[in-house]
Amino acid sequence: MDTKLKKRIGKIVSWLLTFLLMLVICIPGLWVVLTGFRPNREVLAKPAIWIPEELTLNNFAQIFGFGAEQIAIPVPAYFTNSLIIALTSTAIALLVGMSGGYAFARFRFKYKDTLFLGLMLSRTVPGIALSLPVFMIWSRIGLIDTKPGLIIVYVALNVPFTIWLIDGFFRQIPKEMSEAAQVDGCTRWQAFWKIEFPLAKSGIASAGIFAFLTSWNEYALASQLTRSTDSKTLPVGLMDFTAQFTIDWAGMSAMAVIIIIPALILTFIVQKHLISGLTFGGVKG
Amino acid sequence: MAEIKLENVVKNYGKLEVVHGINLDIAHNEFVVLVGPSGCGKSTTLRMIAGLEEITDGEISIGPQVVNELPPRKRNISMVFQNYALYPHMSVRENLGFGLKIAKQSDAMVEERVGEAAEILGLQELLDRTPAELSGGQRQRVAMGRAIVRHPEAFLFDEPLSNLDAKLRVQMRTEIKKLHQKVKTTVVYVTHDQVEAMTLADRIVVMKDGWIEQVGTPMEVFNHPVNTFVASFIGSPPMNLIPATVEGAEIVFADTTRLPVPARLESHISDGQKVILGLRPDDLTPEGHGIIESGQKASMQLTVDLAELLGTETILYTQINGQEVLGKMFDPREVEPGESMSFNISLDKVHLFDAETQKSVRLG
Amino acid sequence: MSRINKSIPFWRREQFTPFLLLMPAILILLLVVLLPLLFSLYTSFTGYRLIRPDSLYNWVGFRNYERIFTNANFWYAFGRTVLFLTIALNLEFLFGLGIALLINKITWGQRTLRTIMMFPMMFSPILVGYQFKFIFNDNIGILNNALQALGLSDGAIPWLVDKQLAMFSIIFAEVWMSTSIFAILLLAGLFAMPRDPLEAAKVDGCNPWQVFRHITLPFLMPFAFIAMTIRSLDVARAYDIVDVMTGGGPAGRTELLWTLIARVGYDNSRMGQANAMAYVSILLSIAFTYYFFRKLIAARRYMGGAD
Repeated sequence: MDTKLKKRIGKIVSWLLTFLLMLVICIPGLWVVLTGFRPNREVLAKPAIWIPEELTLNNFAQIFGFGAEQIAIPVPAYFTNSLIIALTSTAIALLVGMSGGYAFARFRFKYKDTLFLGLMLSRTVPGIALSLPVFMIWSRIGLIDTKPGLIIVYVALNVPFTIWLIDGFFRQIPKEMSEAAQVDGCTRWQAFWKIEFPLAKSGIASAGIFAFLTSWNEYALASQLTRSTDSKTLPVGLMDFTAQFTIDWAGMSAMAVIIIIPALILTFIVQKHLISGLTFGGVKG
Repeated sequence: MAEIKLENVVKNYGKLEVVHGINLDIAHNEFVVLVGPSGCGKSTTLRMIAGLEEITDGEISIGPQVVNELPPRKRNISMVFQNYALYPHMSVRENLGFGLKIAKQSDAMVEERVGEAAEILGLQELLDRTPAELSGGQRQRVAMGRAIVRHPEAFLFDEPLSNLDAKLRVQMRTEIKKLHQKVKTTVVYVTHDQVEAMTLADRIVVMKDGWIEQVGTPMEVFNHPVNTFVASFIGSPPMNLIPATVEGAEIVFADTTRLPVPARLESHISDGQKVILGLRPDDLTPEGHGIIESGQKASMQLTVDLAELLGTETILYTQINGQEVLGKMFDPREVEPGESMSFNISLDKVHLFDAETQKSVRLG
Repeated sequence: MSRINKSIPFWRREQFTPFLLLMPAILILLLVVLLPLLFSLYTSFTGYRLIRPDSLYNWVGFRNYERIFTNANFWYAFGRTVLFLTIALNLEFLFGLGIALLINKITWGQRTLRTIMMFPMMFSPILVGYQFKFIFNDNIGILNNALQALGLSDGAIPWLVDKQLAMFSIIFAEVWMSTSIFAILLLAGLFAMPRDPLEAAKVDGCNPWQVFRHITLPFLMPFAFIAMTIRSLDVARAYDIVDVMTGGGPAGRTELLWTLIARVGYDNSRMGQANAMAYVSILLSIAFTYYFFRKLIAARRYMGGAD
C-alpha cells in the first residue's frame, strides 16, 4: 500500500512538473502571438486586460501595407529579402555541405581530424566579431547592403554545421551499399545518386531546414551588413520598431508572428531527423 | 567465366603493409576459399580483386585482362557482402535487377534474368517485398541472387554467412555449394571459419599476417599442413602441438616420455633436432575406441582430466609433458575424471615440425 | 610510389578525392572567415577609424591591446561575459537533465512534449529577446501585470533597468532559449541507454541515486558534451538577445563583450580597438569549444565509441 501511494504521488508530481515546464515554454510565445492579434490600445491598457475583448488582423494588414494606417516599416520587402537570402544560402550550403560531409564520412585522409576541428572552430567565431572585418572588406568591394553579400556570409556560417550533420547521416549508411552498387556496374557518382543520396535524403533535408532557420533567424551579422530595403532581413527589420519614439508592441508582435511561423512549421517537420543526426554525428564520431 | 591471377600483389595503408606480395592462380570455374584469422589480409585481397581497394604493387588479371586500373564496374564480377548490402529503398525485384538496369539492358531481359535468379534461389514469392521485410536467410539469398543475375566472370563472397545463426549457416553453406554446381563460375570466397573452408572449397588458401601460408585442396591442407599455423588452424578441435627433441630413433618430451619416430619421417630428421610433434585428437584414441587401429602405433598410459560428450564421440582432455592434450573416443563409453586409460597414437598420422622454423620436417 | 599511380592524373587519385570534395567548403571558409580574420588581426594593430580611411595604415603596435587590457570597462564586460556563460551553461545543463529525466518517465504524449520542447531552439534569438523584453517590460509586461493582479507587488518592478534584475532577465531569456538542446540530446542519450548495466547495478545493490550517479550519468556525459559543443559554437547568439532587451544598458550594466565590441566598432567607429576586443572574444569562444570538444572525444573513448 505504502509503495503504491508513493508511486502515485511520484506520478502526480512529475505530471505537475511537466505541466509547469510546458507553461514556461509555451506562454511567452503564445503571449506574443496573441498580442499580434490585439489592438495596441488593449495591449497598453492599465490595468491589464487579460481576456482579449477584441481580436483583429489589423496589425498584419498594416505591416503588409494594406491597412488604413500606413506604417513606415517596409515589411514585405524585408520578408522577400529574408526568403531569398535564406533559400539561396541554404541551397548553396547544402551542396557544399553534402560534398564535404561525404568526404568526412567515406574517406580516410591526412589531417582529417584537424580539418574537422578547423571547420568547427570557424563556426565559433562570434557573429559580431566576424562582422567587423567582413564589414570593412564588403564595403570596399561593394558587397555591403547587397543580398549576395549576406548570402555568401550565411553559406560560410552554415557550412560547418551542415557538414557535421550530413557526415552523420552518411555514416549511418553502410559503406558496402555504395561498394555493392559499384560492383553492380555503377560509377562512384552513380552509386552516390542512386543509392546513398536517396537513403540520406531525409537527413539532408533536415540539415537544409536547420541551415534555413539559421539564416532566417540571424541578426548580429545582418544588422551590420545591411542598410536598406535592398537587403535588410526580418530580424533586422524588427529592430526598426524600437527605433521609433513609442514602441508599437502590437505591430512588433505581428511581425514576430511572421518570423516565428516558418520556424515552428519547419521544426515540426525536422525534429526526428535532427535529433538522430546530432547524436549520431557526435557519439559515433 | 574466367581465371583470376594474382602476381606479387602488395597492399599498403600509408606505411603499413598489410598484404606482402602474394601470388595466386585461380582456375576457371574453381571454388577457392581464402581462410585465416581476422587481420590476415584475406578480405583486403578479395576487395583488391573486386577493385574496391587500390593495388599498391603487383598485378591482378581476370581472364586475359589486367584489371589493376579498372574500376569495379568494369571488371564484370559480382560480390556478396558480409552484411548483404541490399538497397533498403528498393524491392527485392529492383535489388536483383539494379545491375542490369545500370547496364541499360532491356526491360524484357531484366525480367527474364531476375525470374531466372529468383527461380534458382526460390525467391519468387518475395520479389515485391523490401529487404526490411525479409529474414536473415532470405536476405542472404537475395544478395546471392543479385550476384548471379549479371552472369559475371566471377563471384566474390566476403564472409557471407557470418551474420547468420549456426543452424542457418549450415543450411546456407550447402545452398552455396549447390549454387556453384548449378551456376558454374569462378568463386573466391573469404571466411574465417575453417569448417566453411573445408566443406566448400575446391582449393583452400590459408593466410596469415598478409602472407599465404599454404594453398591446396582441403585434403592436402588437412593431411599435409606445411607449418604449425596451418596445422592448428585447420581441423577442429585443433591439432595438439607438443615440443620434443629427437634422440636417435625416438622422440623425447621434456618429461622423458618417449615415442618412436614414425618410419615415414625417419629420413627427414636428424639426431638432436628440436621438433614439435603434431597430433590430431582423432589420432589419440583410447584402446578399442579408435577409428583405424591398423598401421604403426604407439601406446601411452594417460589420465583423463575431463570428458566432453558430443554423442557419437567424446573429447578427452588429458596431459602429455604437462601440457593439455586432446584425444577422441569413438563409440564412447562413460569416462570418470581421473580415470587412467591406455591410449593409441597412430604414428602414420603424426606430424613433425621443426621447432625453429615451425615448418613441416618433410619440407626439409 | 608505384607504376599504377603514375598513369592517373593526381586529381583523380583516390587519396586526393576527399580534398577535392572539401574544396568548396574550405574555399568559402577561407574567403569569408579566415581571410577577414587575418585582416582584422592586422587592423587590431592599427588606429583604424571608419570615418578616417587612411588611418588603416597607421600602425600602432600593441597600443589597442594595451588600452583595452588597462580599461576597467573592458574587464567588467569580460568578467560579466564569462560569468554569464558559466551560469547560463550550467543552468541549461541542470534544467536539461531534469527535463530529460522527467520526460523519459512520462509515457503518454511523450512525442508531443518532445516536439514542443524543441520550439525555443528554433526561435530567432532576436525574437526571444523581443519576447522577453515585452514580458519583462516594467509598465505593460505580462509579468508585472500578473504580479500586480495577484497582489504580490504593487509597484512596477524594473526588470530590465535594475542591475541585478537586468542580468537575471537576460540569463533567463538565454536559458529559456537554449535549455532544450540539452534536454533533447540528453533524452536521446536516455533512449539509447542499454538496460543491462542498469539492471546489473540494481542487482548489485545500488539504490536509485547510486544507479543514477554511477551508471546513468557517466553514460549521458558524452551527450551532454555534444550539447555543450554545439552550444559553444553559438554562445555569441546571446548578443542578439542582449541587444534587443537592454542594448547593454542601462549605463553598461548588462554590457557583454559582444555588445561592447559593437559599440566601440560601429557606434564609436574605433575599428582597430574593436578588432582587438573581437580577438579576445574569438579566443574565448575557441577556448570554450575546444575544451568541450576534447571532453567529448575523451568521453567517447571512455564509452568505447567507434573510430
